[in-house]
This record gives sequence, C-alpha cells and structure tokens, in this order.
Amino acid sequence: MKGETRPGTIRGRGAIPAGLLVAVLLPLLLLPLAAVFAFAFRGGVPAFVAALRAPEAVFALRFSLLVAFSTAAINVVLGTFAAYVLSRYRFPGREALGVVVNLPVAIPTVVVGTSLLLLWGPIGLAGRYLVPLGFQPMFAPAGVLLAHLFVTFPYMLGSVKPVLDEIETTYEEAAYTIGASAWQTFRYVLLPALKGGLFAGALLTFAHSLGEFGATVLVSGNLRFRTQTAPLYIFAQFEAGNVANANAVAAVLAVLSFVIFFFLLRFASRRGAAAAGR
Amino acid sequence: MRSGRFRLLLAAAVLAGLFAWAVWPWLPRAGAARPPRAIVFYGFSILGEVMNDTIFPAFEKRWRESGGEPVTVVASFAGSGTITNQIVLGVPAELALLSLESDAQRLAEAGAVTQDSWKALPHGGVVNRTPFVILVRPGNPKGIRDFTDLARPGVKVVHADPLTSGGASWAVLAEYGAGARAGGPEAGERLLLGIWKNVVAQASSARAARTQFDNGFGDALVTYEQEALGDRLRGRLTAEIVYPKSTVLSEHTLVVVERNVRPRDRAAVDALARFLWSEEAQRLFVQQGFHSVDEALNDNPAFGRIADPFFASDFGGWRRAKREIVDGIWRERVERRIHP
Repeated sequence: MKGETRPGTIRGRGAIPAGLLVAVLLPLLLLPLAAVFAFAFRGGVPAFVAALRAPEAVFALRFSLLVAFSTAAINVVLGTFAAYVLSRYRFPGREALGVVVNLPVAIPTVVVGTSLLLLWGPIGLAGRYLVPLGFQPMFAPAGVLLAHLFVTFPYMLGSVKPVLDEIETTYEEAAYTIGASAWQTFRYVLLPALKGGLFAGALLTFAHSLGEFGATVLVSGNLRFRTQTAPLYIFAQFEAGNVANANAVAAVLAVLSFVIFFFLLRFASRRGAAAAGR
Repeated sequence: MRSGRFRLLLAAAVLAGLFAWAVWPWLPRAGAARPPRAIVFYGFSILGEVMNDTIFPAFEKRWRESGGEPVTVVASFAGSGTITNQIVLGVPAELALLSLESDAQRLAEAGAVTQDSWKALPHGGVVNRTPFVILVRPGNPKGIRDFTDLARPGVKVVHADPLTSGGASWAVLAEYGAGARAGGPEAGERLLLGIWKNVVAQASSARAARTQFDNGFGDALVTYEQEALGDRLRGRLTAEIVYPKSTVLSEHTLVVVERNVRPRDRAAVDALARFLWSEEAQRLFVQQGFHSVDEALNDNPAFGRIADPFFASDFGGWRRAKREIVDGIWRERVERRIHP
C-alpha cells in the first residue's frame, strides 16, 4: 500500500523539520561521540590496540562487564518480584512503596554513593559495628555491586510492571482453578508474556551498570586491578592526561552501548508493531 | 521467523562470549598462578607514573630477591586531600604518600594513624621534594617571569583546588611566601589576592589541573617542578618552565596506616616504607624529576635553579601554615574578597 500514511503522521514537507532535528542533534550528540572515536584512532590502529591491551584497561573492562552481568542477573529477579508484588497485591502503603522503589531514578548517583558509605562504610551507621567483625563491603567489589543494584533497580521494574498491569488476572485465576501451583502459573502463564519486558529491562540494567560513574567513584576506592571499573578508568586516565588510553576504552564502551540499544530499539519496534497489529 | 530466531541466537552468543571473556581470569584453572599478595598504596596525584613504572617494580624485584613471597603493590592516585578523606572513610590503604604533612595530621585527628607516627620514619617522614614553578605556553607569550606577573590583569591562571589538592596548598604557600619574603606579610596577601583574581579553573588535583592546562585552558599553571620534568622525560612537555626567584620546596610525607596493615603484610609493608628511602629508590626519584632528601644524590641536570628557596618550616610548619595561610588568609580573606 504505497503512499498510504500511518494515522498521526503529516504527509510531505518532512525535510525541513528533519533537517532541523539533525542540525540540533549534530553538535549535541553526534559530534561529541564522533570526537571520541576520532581521538581514539588518532594514533592509528596499533596505538588503539596497544591502549586497549594495557592490563589495567583489560581489567577495568572485565570488571565492569562482570558487575553489569551480576547486576542484571540479580535485578531481573528482584525487579520482577517487586513488579509482581506491586501489581498483584493490594496492601496499605502500596503507593508509598511504589514511590520508594522508583526513587533511585530521582536521586543523584553521587548521593547514592554517599548514602551507601554512610551506612556500610567504616564510619557508617551499620558499618561501625560490622567492619570490626570483618564485614567491609565498601571499597571492595561488593560495594560496587551494591551501588549498581541501587542505581539500576527501577529499570527492571519499569519494563516489567506495565506489562504485568496489562495482563488480566483472569488468566492467572483460570490457571489456579485448574490446579496450577503459583510457580506453574508464573512459569506458564506470566513468564511467556513477560519475556519481552524482562529482556528489555535486563538490557537497560546492563547498560546503565556498564556506564555507572557517580556512585561507583565514591564506593570503589578506585584501586586499579581491584575495584576500578571502566568508567573510572576512563576518568582517571583522562584526568592524568592520557587521552589516548581513556578514549580507547571509551570507544569500546560506546560500541557496547550501541549494540545494546540496537537490540532494544529493534525489540521495541517489533513489540510496537505487534501491539499495533492486535 | 527463522531470521528472528537466528538473531536471538546471535545475541545470546555475543552475550555468552562477553561473559566468558570477562570471567576468564577468575575461573579456577589448573596451572593458573595464584595472584600474588598485594600491598595497598595510596598516593597524591602526580605520583602515578613514577610509582607504577619505576618504584613499585624495583621494590617488587628487591623483595623477591630477598626471598620474600611475591608481592605486588596495588595503588590509587588522587589529590592529597581526596585520598586523606578516603582513608578517613575507610579505604584499605596500608601506606599513603601525602603531599602535605597537614593531611597526615588530619589522619591523626581522625584516628586513622597515630599522631606524629610519621616523624619516627627517616627524614621525619619526608620522602622527596620538588620546587613549585610556573608553566607557561611555548614562547611565553604573556612574558611571565615570576609570581608577580601572574597577578597582572589579563593573565589567566589554572590552579588546583586547595580543598582536595595538596599541590594547591603548596602553590598558595609558594605565592604567599614569595610575596611575604620580598615585602612582608601584607605584600604576601596582596600577591595571593592578585593571582587568585586571575584563576580561571580549579581542578581537583595537581594532575587534573595540568590536564586542563594541556587541554588549552589559561596562560599559566602553578605546579610541582617534577610534573613538568616527568612530562619532559616522557617527551610530552608542551609548556615552558618559569622558575620564580623565590618559591617553596614541597615535601611529601609518608604515613603507615597501622589500622589497615594486615599482620601477614607487615614485613612487606615495612620493607616498602624503608625502600622509599633507599639509595636505589631515591635515585629513581631524582631521575624522574623529584629532589632527593639526600642532597648528595641531587645530580639531575634538568633541575632548575631557585635563587631563594624556602620551606614550610619557614612559616612555622604545615600545622601553622595551614591554619594561618591557607585557611586564615586564602580561604577567609582572599576567597571572600573574590567571591563575596
């Protein structure tokens, strides 16, 4: 059906607004990103590869990826559970709880880092008693993981809860009436419908964890080969004037984010098409 | 549908590959060497290359030769004030090389180290020295010859932030001291005020300030001579060094953070502390542009001549200088007049 426009689109004369949008986006988004790649490859490909093979850079990338995988894995479970509870149960304080679980979106990440230190750190409310017992999560990989779980918590919830809210409880009730257990209901009724939301939420969580800086810089102690994540490495190298080293890792992170968002966008467009076709 | 499944498989394969690559060094493998024991070292910002590239490898080699179980030094470098705060908050630093003795005193007040424990170390805890200098653009287009030229209208000065940077406090002392030695305390304060009116960027550490300057900010940077000599050694010094007639020689203090020293690390930590004053380490410092605490070793031809060098002790030591000059004059009077 050539020439037919989708409802809600204006036919023709799209060139001017589109050109305007590109003109705005160019200095705002595209050129800065291009500069990262231009600087990363300014010394040539061998220098780029050498910068990436620096043991500290390799460690930082590996550490960041592991933290991102762990964060995504844990928050897939926690986030889905939170979404399920908030969507399916009615209890006093439900709305307040709904606000609380979404708080990390609103809180500056630096504040998250400070708050974790003031709880678990050696001078913190809980840390004061726990650290003498040898329990010291701050300035260790566990602290980085805690910070990332905190900061990325709402993303899983945001992707899963709207889907859950849409699924009518009648399906679940039907499953119960034919004798399915709670787990079976979840596994065979809810999970197939949630698959997309879970996937999108996990990717978002992963991407945000990979790039997390504000909270990490406070709780990690920034020790190379121990707690230095890729964004911290980029910052340290850039501040030290090793722009080439910083940019090589920055380019890798940028590519990883592109790949993740490519998947997300494809996925969103497919889901959008499916929804439109319903 | 088929291509959808293929794409899913591809995504899964990419993710599995990434995960495998990331987790690889942590897998228990036959024949994988256990990671050696690590000593945790925190240092002020400009020490990064010197320590990581020369001092630590030399120490690790000496320690192995002396029959010790292999150790590595893991380190973090940031502004002296920043690492002091981090140690107070509980980072596991076993040794810290601070830019300012007053940061060591701050650690003592917070209970992280014993008061004056560093004074029992060789040379009162001072590991090395370096004079404070001015870096200017190639060809010195603004004709800067001394600190007084930094107070001229239209000169843009890049400075580190005394709140987090030890180098910035040294620079404040250098600027005030240069004025005070020429014309008394009022002249010192006047010079400080004049220079700080021209400060266009305040970075968190001396190293960060140098990066800002390298990125094209400002006409002049007040920093450690070693910062410039180290860059020259690595062939990346783009600035020119201007030696003021009168400037301070900074002295950098080592502290052993006793509460963080694990018993099994004791011998290695003490050995590393001793090693910093060994002739081998002191020669490495000199080669990298620091002045040794042993005058006989200061044979680096790149060292510039300072007509009238002075020390923090000339202003009553850092405890007093911090209170009277950095807090009393710079923070309370100069900053208030510039940013009322």
